[in-house]
Amino acid sequence: METGIAQVISLSPARHRDDVLTGAGLLPVRPALRELLPGGGLQRGSVVTTGDWGLLPLALAAGAVADGAWCAIVGVPAVGVRAAAQAGLDPERVLLVAEPGPGWTQVVASLLDGFDVVLLRPPEQPSAQLRRKLEAAARRYGSVLVIAGDWPGAQSRLLVADAEWTGIGTGYGRLRARQAQVIASGRGAGERARSAWLWLPGPDGAVAAAAEPADVARDSSRGGYAGTVQADPGEPLVSSG
Amino acid sequence: MTGRAAAARRVLVLRCPAWLDSDSASSDSVSSDRADSDRADSVISGSVSSDRAGGGSAAARAFESVVAIAQDFCPQVEVLRPGVCAIATRGPARYFGGEAELARKLTEAVGRSGVICQAGIADGLFAAGLAARAGPTGLLVPPGETREFLAGLPVGVLGMPELCELLPRLGIETLGQLAALPSAEAAGRFGPPGKLASRLARGLDPRPLIPRPPAADLSVQLEFDPPAEQSEPAIFAAKALADQMHDRLAVAGLACVRVQVLVRCADGQELSRLWRHDGLLSALAVAERVRWQLDGWRGAAGITLLRLVPDQLVRATGRQLALWGDSVPSDRVARAAIRVQAMLGHDRVTRPVLAGGRRPADQVLLVPFGDTGVPQRPADRPWPDQIPAPAPATVFDVPLAASVTDDSGREVTVSGRAQLSAPPAWLAAAGGQARAVTAWAGPWPVTERWWDPRHARRQARFQLVTEDGAAWLAALQDGRWLIEASYD
Repeated sequence: METGIAQVISLSPARHRDDVLTGAGLLPVRPALRELLPGGGLQRGSVVTTGDWGLLPLALAAGAVADGAWCAIVGVPAVGVRAAAQAGLDPERVLLVAEPGPGWTQVVASLLDGFDVVLLRPPEQPSAQLRRKLEAAARRYGSVLVIAGDWPGAQSRLLVADAEWTGIGTGYGRLRARQAQVIASGRGAGERARSAWLWLPGPDGAVAAAAEPADVARDSSRGGYAGTVQADPGEPLVSSG
Repeated sequence: MTGRAAAARRVLVLRCPAWLDSDSASSDSVSSDRADSDRADSVISGSVSSDRAGGGSAAARAFESVVAIAQDFCPQVEVLRPGVCAIATRGPARYFGGEAELARKLTEAVGRSGVICQAGIADGLFAAGLAARAGPTGLLVPPGETREFLAGLPVGVLGMPELCELLPRLGIETLGQLAALPSAEAAGRFGPPGKLASRLARGLDPRPLIPRPPAADLSVQLEFDPPAEQSEPAIFAAKALADQMHDRLAVAGLACVRVQVLVRCADGQELSRLWRHDGLLSALAVAERVRWQLDGWRGAAGITLLRLVPDQLVRATGRQLALWGDSVPSDRVARAAIRVQAMLGHDRVTRPVLAGGRRPADQVLLVPFGDTGVPQRPADRPWPDQIPAPAPATVFDVPLAASVTDDSGREVTVSGRAQLSAPPAWLAAAGGQARAVTAWAGPWPVTERWWDPRHARRQARFQLVTEDGAAWLAALQDGRWLIEASYD
């Protein structure tokens, strides 16, 4: 009993200090994405870029949302909500602001106070001053701003460097999975570039770690369909009925 | 307590088919008779389904002119939903020389404004709503004969799909047969819906009202100084006011069936409307009604006062949230979302709900934050011709025009027997640069809603991978190539 209490006492200040030191800590990400991010998660108060809009920003937010966070998606009128759900991003905890209008920076700043993760495709390239304003908002509220596009002050940059679809041939099969190499670079000194091969998406739409494809297999296929998932000419895309 | 005296409230329901027909045409109702029973349901519950809020707002706006005419006859007009409103006939009938005369004068007045309408009078709102639909101009059911009027109608008019399916199988096909059941038996056998149905069938109001309003004033108000020139600040304030009102009601253990929204302008003009909603009106639902009211009425001067008065108080019996699975936004999330709604408008901040459908764009319903929307096509049914996982990460609401050509530059076509003219070699999306197609699959023919000429669609679907590694869901429809979605 006494040891129990002692443990609680010894644990709680440590955790508290930890929160303060790291600016309320990290938001978790899916296991496959951990090695891409410094600390293995999304640093609260930081800005992360992901290149063009696609599955990667949705997958980045999925882990935090599964942990109870809320996610706002701003400036993307054509979000594939089902793809998001398959990647593990629960649509029930998503807010969409498809057209944030001319005052979009104000909209994003308001959303950062309330939503742990804000995915943003900026409608236009913001000035350095507006960028700093949003970075400050993210820091103040301890939220993460994920940018689909360019953002000079970002703490982490992820990029899909190489990607190949598997399962589809010339006139047969269907899109089954995409193997992608994601390269991450950081801003800080001594930050090494990280890289990982991912199923983005995998056969069930989920994002998972993938083995690096063998060079032989890659060279032999023009469209890159001789991957781990084999093309299946006999199976129709649609179920009958 | 549940004697006939409780049903003696005489009600006139004014119904404008024009709004209702356009409403049902825009919705994807499975069959027209179901749509009709849905309509009856809405007459009782007065709820406006929020997934049609976009169209509903415009309809509510236009309906304001009819409500204004009804207000000349009786200052207290209950708007049940756009297209249907109700007044209590007791006072006006005496003034205008009888109920028949009142109904005639009212329909004539509305008719002069170019709107065709029906007026029904009966005991209680439910029966009056049905009486309004009974003939080309509606029907007057004399006092005390409401139960007889209802007795001949099928149980389908109750608008309770589950009960309406069950009752006929048990041999109860008309409201008369349902009314003949003892009320306690109906409640015991069918639960609260059965009790409600039984009350309605006997010509009683859906639930007993508290006989006299509590002495305490539960209304809330906010003054604007300087006057608000636009409606957005007032709508924003309405959400906070509605929260306040609900808090006060909760303290008193009450809920309101109707809410009166009163807006006063700098030039002294006042606009007051009663909005009906059985069950609890959420704060956001109240704000939405304030929006409709302000949209439909462009006062010249700014708004100086907004007051919400809860009306027709009933005992709060509580609402149960699901144990889990219900994602209730925290206060912080809701506050941020509402703030953005105040900037952009209610409809432009949405939550996605997965729905069923064959096209990727059909599979999501966007519900404005704060509303509840239930997809008409549930996602958990089998949808043949649905594209299997993985789903595309970008789904175009309106498909992009595209051009798919073969090696010789001719457009690729598909015959009626799904024969391809030539393998696709180039894809140009939305007038962009043509990209070489490195892998492709298809055509997969999809025939949708062939039974409904207005919504019928025939497509041949393809998946295309282009040289840059992008993958596309393309479709050939009516001889035109469309890009419906893009994979990553």
